[in-house]
Amino acid sequence: MATIVADVKTVTLTIDGRRVTVPEGTTILSAATLAGIAIPVLCHDERYDPVGVCRMCVVDAGSRVYAAACVRPCDDGMEVATASDSVERQRRTLTRLLMADQPAPAEDPKQTTTADNELHALAIRYGVLDERATPDGLPCGVPRPADGSSHVIAVDHSACIMCDRCIRACDDIQNNDVIGRTGKGHTAQIAFDLDDPMGESSCVSCGECVAACPTGALVNKPISAPIRPRTELKQVDSVCPYCGVGCALTFHVDEDRNKIAYAEGRESPGNQARLCVKGRYGFDYAQSPERLTVPLIRRKEAYPKGPLSADVRGEGRGRRKPGGLVDYAEVLPAFREASWDEALDLVGQKVRAIKDTHGADALAGFGSAKCSNEEAYLFQKLVRAGFGTNNVDHCTRLCHASSVAALLEGIGSGAVSTTYADIRNADVAILAGTNTTANHPVASSFFKEARRKGTTLIVVDPRRERVADHADIFCQIKPGTDVAFYNGVMHEVIRQGLVDQEYVAATTTGYEELATLVAAYAPERAGQIAGVDPELIRRVARAWGEAGAGIIFWGMGISQHTTGTDNARCLIALCAITGNVGRPGTGLHPLRGQNNVQGASDAGLIPMMYPDYQRVDNPAHQATFETAWGVPLSPTPGLTVTEIIGAALTKDVRGMYMLGENPFLSDPNVNKVRKALSALDFLVVQDIFLTETAEFADVVLPASSYLEKTGTFTNTDRRVQIGRPALEMPGQARLDWQIILEIARRVGLDMHYDSPADVFDEMVAVAPSYANLRYDNLGASGKLWPNPDPEHSDGTVVLFGDGFPTADGRAKLVPAEWLPADELPDQEYPFVLNTGRLLEHWHTGSMTRRSFALDAIAPRAQVYLHPQDAAELGLGDGDFAVVASRRGQIEIEVRHSHRETRGSCFIPFHFREAAANLLTNDKIDPFGKIPEFKFCAVKIAAASVTAA
Amino acid sequence: VSAGVEARAGRFAGPSLIPELVAIQAAHGWLPREELEALAIRTKRPLYEIQGLISFYPHFATEPPKPVKVAVCRDLSCWLRGGDAQMRTIAARYQADDDIDLHQVSCLGRCDIAPAAMVNARACAAVNVEGLVKRVRSKPLDHGVAGTGRRWPNDPYEDRADRYASLRAALGGELSGDAIVATLEESGLRGMGGAGFPTGRKWRLVAAEPSETKYVICNADESEVGTFKDREILADQPHLVLEGLLLGMVVTGAREGWLFIRHEYGPEADAFRAELERARGLGLVGTDVLGTGRDLLVDVFVSPGGYILGEETALLECMEGHRGEPRNKPPYPGTYGLWGKPTLMNNVETLADIPVILRRGAAWWQAQGTNGCAGLKFIGVSGNVEKPGVYCVPLGTSIRDLIATAGGPLDGKETAAVQPGGASSNFLGQADLDTPLDFTALTDAGSMLGSGAVIVMTEGTDLLAAATNVLRFFRNESCGKCVPCRAGTDKAVTILEAVLASGGGIADVDGSIAELEEAMRLTSICGLGQVALGPVMSVIKLARSDGAG
Repeated sequence: MATIVADVKTVTLTIDGRRVTVPEGTTILSAATLAGIAIPVLCHDERYDPVGVCRMCVVDAGSRVYAAACVRPCDDGMEVATASDSVERQRRTLTRLLMADQPAPAEDPKQTTTADNELHALAIRYGVLDERATPDGLPCGVPRPADGSSHVIAVDHSACIMCDRCIRACDDIQNNDVIGRTGKGHTAQIAFDLDDPMGESSCVSCGECVAACPTGALVNKPISAPIRPRTELKQVDSVCPYCGVGCALTFHVDEDRNKIAYAEGRESPGNQARLCVKGRYGFDYAQSPERLTVPLIRRKEAYPKGPLSADVRGEGRGRRKPGGLVDYAEVLPAFREASWDEALDLVGQKVRAIKDTHGADALAGFGSAKCSNEEAYLFQKLVRAGFGTNNVDHCTRLCHASSVAALLEGIGSGAVSTTYADIRNADVAILAGTNTTANHPVASSFFKEARRKGTTLIVVDPRRERVADHADIFCQIKPGTDVAFYNGVMHEVIRQGLVDQEYVAATTTGYEELATLVAAYAPERAGQIAGVDPELIRRVARAWGEAGAGIIFWGMGISQHTTGTDNARCLIALCAITGNVGRPGTGLHPLRGQNNVQGASDAGLIPMMYPDYQRVDNPAHQATFETAWGVPLSPTPGLTVTEIIGAALTKDVRGMYMLGENPFLSDPNVNKVRKALSALDFLVVQDIFLTETAEFADVVLPASSYLEKTGTFTNTDRRVQIGRPALEMPGQARLDWQIILEIARRVGLDMHYDSPADVFDEMVAVAPSYANLRYDNLGASGKLWPNPDPEHSDGTVVLFGDGFPTADGRAKLVPAEWLPADELPDQEYPFVLNTGRLLEHWHTGSMTRRSFALDAIAPRAQVYLHPQDAAELGLGDGDFAVVASRRGQIEIEVRHSHRETRGSCFIPFHFREAAANLLTNDKIDPFGKIPEFKFCAVKIAAASVTAA
Repeated sequence: VSAGVEARAGRFAGPSLIPELVAIQAAHGWLPREELEALAIRTKRPLYEIQGLISFYPHFATEPPKPVKVAVCRDLSCWLRGGDAQMRTIAARYQADDDIDLHQVSCLGRCDIAPAAMVNARACAAVNVEGLVKRVRSKPLDHGVAGTGRRWPNDPYEDRADRYASLRAALGGELSGDAIVATLEESGLRGMGGAGFPTGRKWRLVAAEPSETKYVICNADESEVGTFKDREILADQPHLVLEGLLLGMVVTGAREGWLFIRHEYGPEADAFRAELERARGLGLVGTDVLGTGRDLLVDVFVSPGGYILGEETALLECMEGHRGEPRNKPPYPGTYGLWGKPTLMNNVETLADIPVILRRGAAWWQAQGTNGCAGLKFIGVSGNVEKPGVYCVPLGTSIRDLIATAGGPLDGKETAAVQPGGASSNFLGQADLDTPLDFTALTDAGSMLGSGAVIVMTEGTDLLAAATNVLRFFRNESCGKCVPCRAGTDKAVTILEAVLASGGGIADVDGSIAELEEAMRLTSICGLGQVALGPVMSVIKLARSDGAG
C-alpha cells in the first residue's frame, strides 16, 4: 500500500548515542525532545520562531564551534552531544555571565512574586545563584534603570537577559509591534517605541510580554492583591468577562483575601492563551467597596422620581470628580436598606398590580448580554411566562440588531458562519466598520497574524484605527456611506466578471434585482459618495473577487446606523455573489461585542423570538413553548429597547425589571431616557453597583458579579464555555438566577432548578442549535454550536456548506439603495460625531472604571479630533471643548488624533461626566430598530475658561 | 518559517527604512522625533523598528549636530603611534569649544597615517586636526579625493582600452562560466577578507543554485583594526574590482550587484562610482549589456556604520534594513543570502584578483607566490614601522621581510610581536617572524592570514595593554545579539582594565579570562565573539612561553 509519509524526506542522526530519524528541517532541539532528551533553553519557546541568542541550548554537533539546538537543523549522520562536560561547562559560564548583572535573588522581581524565574532555575542547576555575592564572581556591569511608568507592568532592565521573547510575544503573538532592541553591544537593551517609557509608549498593556519573560525584567504589578507563587493560590479556569471574543483564562485566586492575584491566558482553540488588557488586568472591579450588598427601597421622600445626581440631571461639567462614577453620597440617601423578603415582595406586588390594572404589555424587562445563558433564559421565561408579555430585550438591540435582521432575512441565521480564527484560511479579509484592536483585541491579533502570513487585509472605516496600519488596502470612507461603497464594489465585481455564477444560480435568489440596482453604482459615483478614489473600489473588487476564499468581519460601524440593515445586506450579498460562504476561510462574521451577546440572543432575550430564534408570532413555536413552560403565551411580538423607552414616555409601559442594564448611559439621546425612566410607575434594578439607571429605581437588588457565579457564555464564534466562580459574594448579594426565581415565584410562576446546569439542560431542550451540549461535555475550552458530537468534536466551524436554513435553502440577495444618515452636518452643526469604545473601557464603565488598572490607563473622557480641525477651532491638545448636538451638550477634553477623518470627531461613550449619548441621535433603523450611534451632527467650541 | 531560518524578531518585511532615515538626516542634519513619527505613520512600520536602527548605526544622530565633528581613532594601530596622547592634546585644545563634538571612534581604516582622525567627513592624521578645524570653520570640507596614482604590479591591463577584456569575453560567449570557475579553482585563489574560503568553489556553489534571483555583493566594509588594503585597491584599481563583480554576476546569473562600502570611505566610493559610470558608458553596466539581452545592474550601498557589518550575514541584514546582527548559520549566504536569495559575496581584493587571474592565467598567478604559495597579496602594514602603508607582495613573503619592505621597525628597535592578520589574529612573537604570510603557515604558527593587516609592535610595548585595546574594540563593536559576546567582551574588558589600572601584568590575569574565552569561542554566533578574546589569550601564551623558554 502506498503511503504519503514515504515522500517526506528524513534525516537520521545520533543524539547522545541514540539514533533519531526526523523529517528534514527539524531542529536539533525538537529532535532531542522527541528522543526524550531535555536541553536547557532560555530564549526559546515553542510558540515563537527561534532566534538562538541566549546560546544556552548549544550542543556539540561536531563542528569547530557549538550549535544552538533551537535553530540548527539536523543533518543526516550528525553526531550530537547535548551534555558533554565541555557543553555543560559553557552553559555554566553563560549562566554566570547573566547572573552577574541580575538583581540579588532576594530582590528579584520575579522570584519574589510568582517565583518562577527560569534563569534562577538554571543558576541553581549550575551552582551560580550567588554569582554577585561570590568574591571571585564576574564583575557586575553598569546598573540599568527600572521603568515604572506602565500602570500594570514593571520593567527592570537590570534583570533583562535580552532573550527577545517579549519582542516576539509582542510582534508574533499579539502583533502589537511595540518592543524592540535599542542600542548595540553591551549597552543594548529592550525599548518601547522610540525608547520611550513603557507607560507613554504605544503599548496596549496586553501583558503578553510579561507572560513571555523568563526573568524579572517584565512582571505584573499587583492589582488588588499581592502576586504570590502559583502554589499558594487557587487556580480557577474561567472565561474573560468582557468582550465577545470570550478568551479562556485562569484566575489565580488569593482565597485568604477573597481577591484575584493575577490572570493568565489559557489554551483554547479560540484565544490560544492570548489576552488583552481588560482580561489580564481588569478583574478587580468585583472587589470595589461600592458593591451593592443589601437590597434597597426608595424612600417615600424621594418621590416623585427623578435623577438624583448632578451628572444624571445633566449638570455635569465634563471634568472628572473623585471616584468618577455615580456619587453614592448623592444617591444613597434616597434609599433605605431592606430585607430580601421585603424587597422581593414589593417587586411581586407592584408587578402584579401593573399587570392587573394596565395589562401585561405595560410591563417590560431588559436583560443583559453580560449575564449567562442560564440567566438570560430564565429572565425571558420570567417576562414571557410570568409577566405575560414579549416586551423583553437587551443591549443587542444597540449593537447587532440590524446585522441579525439582515442575516435572518438573507441566510436564515443570525450567528457567525465561521470563527474569527478561520481568517487564517482566507486569501482576503474585509474588516468593515470594526475597530477590532480596541473592541476585540485578541481577535484582531489573529487578523494581523493572518495578514503577516499572507492574507490580504482590507480595512474599510471612516477612522484610521490601529488595525488600518496593518491593512493592505485601507479605505477611509466618509461616515454613513457604506451602502454606496459596497454597492460600488459589487458593481465592479460584476463588471469584472468575478461573480461565482454557479454558486449564485444554485444557492441564491434575487441576483438580477441586485445586479440591476448596483449597476447604478459605478466606482466613480460610489467613490464620490464615499469620498474614496474610484481606483480603490476597483482594487477592493478585484482582490475580493479573485480570492479563492474571502471572509468579512464587521462591527458597530456597519450596524449602528439608520441604514444598518442595508449595510449588512450589502456585505451578505458581496459574500454570496462571489461564493464566499460555506468553505474554510470564507463567510460572514459580525463580531459580537458583549461576552454573551450571542448567547443572550440564542436564549431568547429578543422581543419577537423565543429561544433559538423561534418567532413568537408563529403559532407552532408558540405551542412548543406553551407546552414546555406550561402556561399560555402572548403571540404579540414585544417592543424593542428603544421602543420601550418611547413607550415609557407615553405611559404604555409602566413597570420595568432591569437586570444588569444601564440604559441611561448606553442608549441614545439620554435626555429622552431620563424622562422615560422618571415616568415609570415602577422600576426594579438588579445590579452589582448603583448605576445611573438605579437613580430612577424603586427597588435595587444586589446581584452577583460574573466572578462569583457559574454559567455558560457563548462567544462570537458560537463557542459555549463555562464561567466559574473565583470569588465569594459580598454581603447579602445573591446569585442572579436565584433572584429571578424568587421574583417568578412572587408573580405566580413556579420554577425549580437545582443548578445552572439544570437550567442549561432545559434551554438546550428547547433550542435545537444547542443540541447535545451539556455541562459535562463542554470540556476545558467549551464547544461550538452546532455540535453533533461534543464528546469527540470541538463543533462545527464553518456553517452553510450545504445551503442555508431559509425556507428555500437559498440565500436571499437584498439590494439596497444608499441613503444618507438621518442627521447630516450643516452650518450650525458642522461636525459628524462618531461614538464607540476605548480599548480599556467597557460600555458604561461600571466595571472598567472600577478596575484600578483600566481606570488608571484611561481615566478621562476625551473628544478625538483631527489636529487640523482642532487647530482651526483653536483647540490645543488637552484643552476643554463644548460639544453640542440638537439634543444636548457636554464639556470634554480635546485629544488630537491623526486617526480621525477631517470633519468628524469621536467620543467614547463610557464616561457619565461627559456622556456621549447626551448628543447621539435616537433615530432607528426601520428593520433592526437600532439607533444611529455612529452618526449625528454636532458643533464644537472651546469651553469657557473656568476653574476646573 | 522553515527550521534553520530564524525568527524575524523585530525584522520587518518590506523595503528598508535606512534610505528614508538617511534622507531625513541629510535634510535636517539629524533625526527629529516628529520626522520619525511621521515616517512610521507613512510607512506603517513600528516606531521600535526605527529606534532599533537609529540606535544601532553610528551614522544616525538623534540630536542636532555641532558644526564641527572631530573623531579620533582609539584602536591598536593608532594607539601604538601615540593616539591616546594625541586625543588628550586635542581634547585640551577644544575643551571649552562648544562648536566641536569631539569623540573617540573605532578604526577609521587610515592606519597608514596613525594616529588617524576625521574632521567632519575628511580623514586626516590627528596632528592635522587643528588645521582642518580652522579650515572647516570658514568653508565646508568635503571628504576629499581618493587615489595614490600608483601603478600596481598585479594590473593585467597595460592599456586602459584593454580593461574588461575578460568580461567582454564572458559576455560574448568566448569564455564560459565553467571555464572561469575552473580557472579560479586551478589558481587556488582563496577569499581575501579573512576566512580564506576557496573562491572558485564559492562561485560554483552559487552558480549551481536553482533560484532565478541571485545577488553578488562586493564586501568593502573593511573595518578591522589595522586593515586598509581594500581602500587603496578601490582607490587605484576600481576597474578590477568592478570587473570581478560583473564577472561574478555573469557566472552566477545575478542581475543585481552591490558594492557595500563603509561610510568613512567616501573618496573610494566616489572612485568606484566614477568607474561604474565609465563602464556604463562602455555598455558593460545597465540593461541589455553589449546587446546580450542581459542586465547587469550595479549600485553602491554606503554602510551606516559598524565593524560588525563586515560579517557577511550582518551585512545582509543591514542591506535588508535591519539591525546588523549576524544570522545563525547555516544557512549560508550562498544558499540563503540577500532577501533570502542565493548571494555571492566576495571581498574587494578577491574580486580584483579575478580579472588578473583570468587575463594572465592560473599558472602565472601561482608563480607569483613564494615559499610554495600561490599569488599576490595586498597587505596593510601599520603600527611601529617606519613606512606604514599598503604593500603588494608575493603570498608567502615572511613577516620579517614584509616589515623590512615597510622600512623596518620604528626607530630601529626590535620587533617584539605582530598581529599578522588584523585585530582578530593571535599575536606572534619574535620567534615567529620568519613565518611566511600564508594561510597554512600562519595557522600552523597559531595565528592567521586574516584580513591582510600586519600590525607591528616593537620592544617596550605593553602587550597585555595592546591585547586589551583589541578586546575593547571587539566589545565596542559587538552587536549584542548573543549572550557570550555581549556580556563576555564586557566582563573581560572590565577584568583586564582592572588588572592594568592596578599596575598588574599578565601574571595577574586569573582563570576567568580563559573560562570566558572558551565559552565565547565555542558558543558565540559569529566570528567576532568567537575570536574576541583570542589575542588576549595569545599574549598570555606568548608571555608564558617566553618565561618558560
